[in-house]
Amino acid sequence: MSEPRPPARVSFQEELDQLEAALREEGELVLRSLRAAVEAVCSQDVELAEEVIAFDDDIDSQYFEVEQGIELLLARQTPVASDLRLVLALLKDNLHLERMGDLCTTIAKLTKLTKGLPPDDTLLEGFKEMGERAEQMIRVALRSLQQRDRVAAESLLELDELIDRANRRVVNRLLEIGHDLEVREWGLRMILVSRCLERIGDHAVDIGEQTAYLVTGEFREFTDASH
Amino acid sequence: MSAGSLRLRGRSRADHARGALFQGLLLFSLAIGFVTLGVLLFDVLQRGLPYLDLALLTNAPSTDPQIAGARPAILATVYMMVILLVTVLPIGVATAIYLEEYANKERWYNRLLDLNIQNLAAVPSIVYGILGLAFLVRGLGLGRVLLAGALILTLLVLPIVIVSSREAIRAVPDSIRQGGYALGATQWQVIWRQVLPSAIPGIATGSILALARAIGETAPLILVGALTYVSFNPTIMGPFTALPIQIYQYISRPQEEFKLIAAAAIIVLLAILLTMNAFAIWLRNRYQKRW
Amino acid sequence: MPPMETTAAPVKIAGMRVETAGARELPAQREVLFDVKDLRVTYAGVPALDGVSLEIYRNYITAFIGPSGCGKSTFIRCFNRLNDMIPSASVEGSVLYHGEDLYGKDVDPVEVRKLIGMVFQKPNPFPKSIYDNIAFGPRVLGMKDGLDERVEQALHQAALWDEVKDRLKESALSLSGGQQQRLCIARCLAVEPEVILMDEPASALDPISTTRIEDLMHELKRNYTIVIVTHNMQQAARVADKTAFFSVDVAPDGNRRTGILVEYDDTSKIFTTPADKRTEDYVTGRFG
Repeated sequence: MSEPRPPARVSFQEELDQLEAALREEGELVLRSLRAAVEAVCSQDVELAEEVIAFDDDIDSQYFEVEQGIELLLARQTPVASDLRLVLALLKDNLHLERMGDLCTTIAKLTKLTKGLPPDDTLLEGFKEMGERAEQMIRVALRSLQQRDRVAAESLLELDELIDRANRRVVNRLLEIGHDLEVREWGLRMILVSRCLERIGDHAVDIGEQTAYLVTGEFREFTDASH
Repeated sequence: MSAGSLRLRGRSRADHARGALFQGLLLFSLAIGFVTLGVLLFDVLQRGLPYLDLALLTNAPSTDPQIAGARPAILATVYMMVILLVTVLPIGVATAIYLEEYANKERWYNRLLDLNIQNLAAVPSIVYGILGLAFLVRGLGLGRVLLAGALILTLLVLPIVIVSSREAIRAVPDSIRQGGYALGATQWQVIWRQVLPSAIPGIATGSILALARAIGETAPLILVGALTYVSFNPTIMGPFTALPIQIYQYISRPQEEFKLIAAAAIIVLLAILLTMNAFAIWLRNRYQKRW
Repeated sequence: MPPMETTAAPVKIAGMRVETAGARELPAQREVLFDVKDLRVTYAGVPALDGVSLEIYRNYITAFIGPSGCGKSTFIRCFNRLNDMIPSASVEGSVLYHGEDLYGKDVDPVEVRKLIGMVFQKPNPFPKSIYDNIAFGPRVLGMKDGLDERVEQALHQAALWDEVKDRLKESALSLSGGQQQRLCIARCLAVEPEVILMDEPASALDPISTTRIEDLMHELKRNYTIVIVTHNMQQAARVADKTAFFSVDVAPDGNRRTGILVEYDDTSKIFTTPADKRTEDYVTGRFG
């Protein structure tokens, strides 16, 4: 028997790999944006918030390139079977990452709006924790995609539960401290921040669902209740 | 499945019988040819083999049947066949190459040429004899020599060689030529290196047919001046006879023994033919290609 | 794969740029190799192809697609003057190669074919050994020295060496269809052309062999310029950098059918946003 043949459709495989790599880059950008946004809120750093808002252009640009790359790949290579599922998963993940980027920008905008208002340290501690949790979820989601790990993807559900609980604690805390008018104003904005962080977690779960779809060929929502 | 809708046992016995009858007729036709040939060969071999000895091959003809041989005739026939092959193959193949590879088939004169070659094959051999006498013996002044005999036989079988060579060249797929041209080869290079080597089997077959036709021809040779009684060895530019003529001569003699010597001479004639054909077949097999 | 860890690095964000997904390696500066102007080909006075003008670029893979009868095979054969072999064919217009007209007065078609090679639809190996097949070109062109090296190098370039290195003296006809086609490519490469024309090179092959030929084309385009005719649109989409779509122009009386060039552009454009509706109809499979 002759030696094993080299893999076929080399340039197609290279293109797929490049697309995945580009998506990972986008993920890195989103992680930086997230970290910066949370830092800006916690330290009430308006300059940093401005940077996050400007940085969204970079994320959008990367999003557009991945989107175009997918369109070209579909037109030119007509992928089928697992290749097709991968491309469709990348298409949706691309959208989820871009939405995450937008949410980080929203957090930054809210930081700007609440400039000068009195913060609550407990709440800010909570945000820091939620931010780390969200970061962790994004990493897990991207890694599970890269390694085609369905189990890791499904673990995102538990992590999301933690963020959801933290989100609920924020509301309760605000009810406790909301006597002052200024504190109330700050509080209302911060609910939105909390909501953004929770939404980021949901998008990470969605990325996990796409990974499970990619691996099993079936699309299944991880939770029954719509959130 | 409702009964009667599925006809697996369709064909009637009559159809099968017709098929068998047809096959039988084919075999019968084949048998006629084979049996005739077999009977002829058997007859010749039975009569001639006892008289097939060295004396036949080395002695000149004589009135004494004990020492009569056919040496001059055998030599003359062999010389003529060799000259024939050496002459007819280059001319015939060259003509075929021109007609197939170079000639523009749309032109009227090429189509006329085509038609004439087909017709030449149908001309009776005695007409070639007259042509040889007028043109070679008298016109060119060759005289009644072996060379004239060989040349007129060449003309006789030329159409056969041309036609079979053309078929052989035509059988070479055009894709081979295109491949050659696409690599930057000239037309001649493609013909010489690709087409001709592939056409050799067909050309060899053509030469077998040509030899078979020529070896038994008598009429043109007589007209060109073959003698019936020759006791000296022939030379190319000298008087000659041929084996078929010698055989006829022996058969016409009254003594019974001469008829048997004639049978032996026939075996020699067949042997010469088979030897030359064996060579052609060997050549054909060596170059046989499967597309 | 880069590891993903939390870093305690400062949070200043720097813009990042990544290579375009799906970028194809093309030479930075594109160079015109063939310049076709107003090409018209007629067979016995009847036009088969008319009014074709386009440029072919060096080290690109250019594909000609279109329905049957649109003249794309006729067109590709103009590049190596194989149409000369057909007595009734006549070519008007100009085909400039490195600025010189291929149909100029002193141009020898044989010289043209040394530089511009061709691979045909049905693999046509000569009925000789594998070695002699590849050596045929160099031998007829007088490149007699270093024949062994030439043969080996050509087989390497055609990704066939490993499969046949131990049986070079065997008949070429003993190879499979895909191998025979790669042999024909090797044969073409042995004379060191600049351009390789391919007239439907994979249409007689099974899908696996087709993929191997396509991968081979990607490798070859680094050193050669490739022009391919294909009736398989997806193949053009997969391999070609630029694509030209030809169609049939029917005369008002319905009798004359002439091939015309409809659209010529980057392949990505042809298959995502074609400019001409006829192109759109063809690539979507609606009309042909």
